[in-house]
Amino acid sequence: MSDEELDETYTALCHTLTEAGERHTPLILARLALLLMKQVADAKTVREAIASAADLPPTLNPEATTP
Amino acid sequence: MEITFGEYFEYTHHAAAVPARLVAGCEAARHPVVIAGGGPTGLAVALGLANFGVRSVVLEADATVCSGSRAGAFTRRTLEILERFGVIDEVMRTGLRWSTGRTYFGAEEVFAFHMPDDEDQKYPPAISHLQNYIEHCMVQEAERRKDLIDIRWQSRVAGVAQEDGGVRIDVETPAGHYALRGDWLVACDGGRSQVREALGLRMQGRRHEGRYVIIDIRIDTEGLPPGRRCWFDPPSKPGTTLLMYKKPGNMLRFDYQLADGDDEREAMEPERVFAQVNEHLKMLGIDRPWEPVWMSLYRASALTLDSYLHGRVLFAGDAAHLVPIFGVRGMNSAIDDAHNLAWKLALTVQGKAGPGLLESYSTERVYAARENHRFANKSAEFMAPPSAPFKLMRDAVLSLSKAHPWVTSLMNPRQHSAIPLRSSPLHARLASGGAFEAGPAPGDILPECPVQRDGRADFLTGVLGPHFTALHFSETGALPAAVADAIARLAQRVPLKGIAIARSAAAAGARDGVLVDAAGKAFRLYGAQPGTLYLVRPDGHVLARWLQADAPQLEAVLEAVLTPQAEECHV
Repeated sequence: MSDEELDETYTALCHTLTEAGERHTPLILARLALLLMKQVADAKTVREAIASAADLPPTLNPEATTP
Repeated sequence: MEITFGEYFEYTHHAAAVPARLVAGCEAARHPVVIAGGGPTGLAVALGLANFGVRSVVLEADATVCSGSRAGAFTRRTLEILERFGVIDEVMRTGLRWSTGRTYFGAEEVFAFHMPDDEDQKYPPAISHLQNYIEHCMVQEAERRKDLIDIRWQSRVAGVAQEDGGVRIDVETPAGHYALRGDWLVACDGGRSQVREALGLRMQGRRHEGRYVIIDIRIDTEGLPPGRRCWFDPPSKPGTTLLMYKKPGNMLRFDYQLADGDDEREAMEPERVFAQVNEHLKMLGIDRPWEPVWMSLYRASALTLDSYLHGRVLFAGDAAHLVPIFGVRGMNSAIDDAHNLAWKLALTVQGKAGPGLLESYSTERVYAARENHRFANKSAEFMAPPSAPFKLMRDAVLSLSKAHPWVTSLMNPRQHSAIPLRSSPLHARLASGGAFEAGPAPGDILPECPVQRDGRADFLTGVLGPHFTALHFSETGALPAAVADAIARLAQRVPLKGIAIARSAAAAGARDGVLVDAAGKAFRLYGAQPGTLYLVRPDGHVLARWLQADAPQLEAVLEAVLTPQAEECHV
């Protein structure tokens, strides 16, 4: 995937989530994760990605970033 | 909402005047070109026209250059164009060069973007400067060329009427009112264009979320890094976005986002803005006295007219389009507009080109505005997410960026660069000659390359000027007779220069004006072989190229540009 394709795909996901609404966003992201998991097909890769996703940096302050 | 606390530098205040020879309230002489607006766009159009020997009158509503701050970052393409307008030396002497921008999430730096730069470039990727100082440089240059440029200060456009194959403009000044007539009117009168209003035209597009307070302060900036610094969710203003730029003359610019609940009036109270600035300076450990110079409230818009040509009226800069400030595409794209327009309007006024050429200005620059919107909208959405899911995704990107650098390509602010005019009607119909493996395609601007010229180090773009350029690659620097003859014939009709670029230093050294490319760098960069010819527009965009020069095609191409059929210029 080129940088430009990554950019466009990212923006498309943002728009899809916006249309679906905030309430449905977590479920859609969970379903997306499952579908991509199947595409990746390699358990080790997926487990590494799960660990990376859960490794929240200390600077991330959920109180401050939620409007 | 805007507050000016002081001058950025000592402005020259210009008096109002009414022309001496009026007949029934109208200036007797008719002008080839009248320009509404003496900001950067209008002055650039006037200087560009003057390069072709075309006279213009500039009507500026104020008595001085713009008193507020506007654009602050100027890109390499703009610097190349400012060289053409004769102001580059003073702009470079006083500007701050930068090539690296830094992004912070909270207080931690998560991403540094480096704009393309290498030792072969004549200019840095960007400089930080004051828009009104660049205006000041342009005014001084215009005054040096007062035989061709007539700036009329404190002269407000009060009415516009298209009549008799031209335009009649009503002007109001403190010294009295009058009318003047021009063959062409170029509207460069900004986002709230009087001319656009008078013609009943509206820009179309979208408004963005996110309101920003912009403030310039004077402070000792010794030791602070130049370049764009952007904080997402900074401890100094949690939940928002803040930009900081170091500017010349010991100044700092802040753009900070208001939170959703913030009231605009309260947020713009000076004490509150000053407290916010202090909060951020404290976060950075900067403890120095400062004073405010100017502040304003901003909300991003991406708007454009559908066409920049309406009868005898042309639009450029903010009068034609508004671009979100993130990505620095406002004044930079306005300068591009002026550069694209000047040669086309000059050749039209001089009767050297048919009316279709000006249609191509509109087509090309409306296309460029939409491209600028496409890039700038993404930056604006990243800066101020338009919905909760956009914000969620952005925070995911920001929080991953430190450990997973690939994700940072989504954070790049996509700073302005020249928009390739690939689908331009001027290029679309032209035959291209041979399969190039490298080099700028028709519609691209020329990549920079160091060369030797008359025994001195120079740059390839140094050969550009107010003329078409036929750039011929060879071993020895001798133009083939058929090409030289074609150039000589064409040069009688339009400004055109033939330039030879040679690989063999010894052979080329004997000829004046030949570019020497002893290392073969330009040959490689342009995918050239001995015999290759590039035909370049006066604004630096490639018009056509042939792996092996073909004199009849060179003539045919220039003919097609000078007399394009108007209907084919609509994409």
